[in-house]
Amino acid sequence: MVENYAILPCNGLDKCAGVISRELAIKLCKNGKNEIICPVYYRVAEAKYNKIAGERPLFVIDGCQTRCASKLAAEKNLKISKKVTVTEEAKNQNIELKNNLTLQENENALVEIILNGLNNTEDGVPQSSAETSFVINFEYETFQHGKFIFRVPKNPEVYFNENDCWAYVNGNRARIGVTDFVQQNLSDILYFTPPGIGEEIDQFGEAGEIESSKSVFELISPVSGKVISINETLLQQPELINENPYELGWIAEIELTGFEGDKELLLGFEKYFEIMKRKVEDLNG
Amino acid sequence: MSESTFMGVERDKIDWKPTIDYAKCDYCMECVKFCPHKVFEVRENEEIKLIIRNPDNCVVFCRACSKICGPDALSFPDKNATTQRIREIRKEETNG
Repeated sequence: MVENYAILPCNGLDKCAGVISRELAIKLCKNGKNEIICPVYYRVAEAKYNKIAGERPLFVIDGCQTRCASKLAAEKNLKISKKVTVTEEAKNQNIELKNNLTLQENENALVEIILNGLNNTEDGVPQSSAETSFVINFEYETFQHGKFIFRVPKNPEVYFNENDCWAYVNGNRARIGVTDFVQQNLSDILYFTPPGIGEEIDQFGEAGEIESSKSVFELISPVSGKVISINETLLQQPELINENPYELGWIAEIELTGFEGDKELLLGFEKYFEIMKRKVEDLNG
Repeated sequence: MSESTFMGVERDKIDWKPTIDYAKCDYCMECVKFCPHKVFEVRENEEIKLIIRNPDNCVVFCRACSKICGPDALSFPDKNATTQRIREIRKEETNG
């Protein structure tokens, strides 16, 4: 159920997805238990909303990937507890959004589907079936560029892909996450979308997303397998990915299905360290 | 010889770059501002104001620009097919 939230919707009135966001926000508030923050008014007179923004968890409704509502939340230093992106939901439901600015059959259907999905989902964290058995005892190599410090674990069980994601392999399981290169480039991470537990992921397939005010980063899985656990703490504290991406900021645990083959396209510490240094220098001069 | 490689394969042998759907693109240029690799180029005075200028600068498997594209105008090749192709090229080069 969506109850007791402050709802911050996109209000893109010149776009279909924006109009749908607005409708969703209004409907979510019909039960009297949620309150809307009008994004337009919030920009010019934030005092009106400071109380609800401070007291309630925030539910952001983005119309499209421009993510205006998420960016506004970041600007105002608000932590996002829950979010929906209308165009993503439309894609998942195979509903094509036209340029309608008044809701018609398709758009109303999408509103109902999203509302039903939200109202049938219990708040809280997904259940994982895995018992974690990862002992973290990494040794790091570091280098500094300007004020930024980059660390890379040296342990031979940790593998990397050239997309700046790591896998710590332990028997037939691996824990995966992003490297310092990703978290430094994204800067403050505001939201974490985990992969689904039970989901089968190919090597280089998407294993969740992390989002900052600057961008959205799709975690590109270094290994193939089945997601057996996610780092539930990140749902409330995505900033742990910034603070400690290799240990407390791990993303998911994978039951490996083809590691011998995957290994061919992975790097060990030495090669990745060199690649990362080069990338940092290329990007930052 | 290509200047850069991805997983030991010359970058220009890997087909990985965004494709712009001009029917959807509204020339907001968010992708240009976002991509640090100069994959896109703005052509102010042309009818088509945005092109893929440096496809081989695009980071293989990265789809970040499509994730921030409001009108959903950017698409990428199939990841599995690309991975498979990279494996094949590596094999050919090892055997070759």
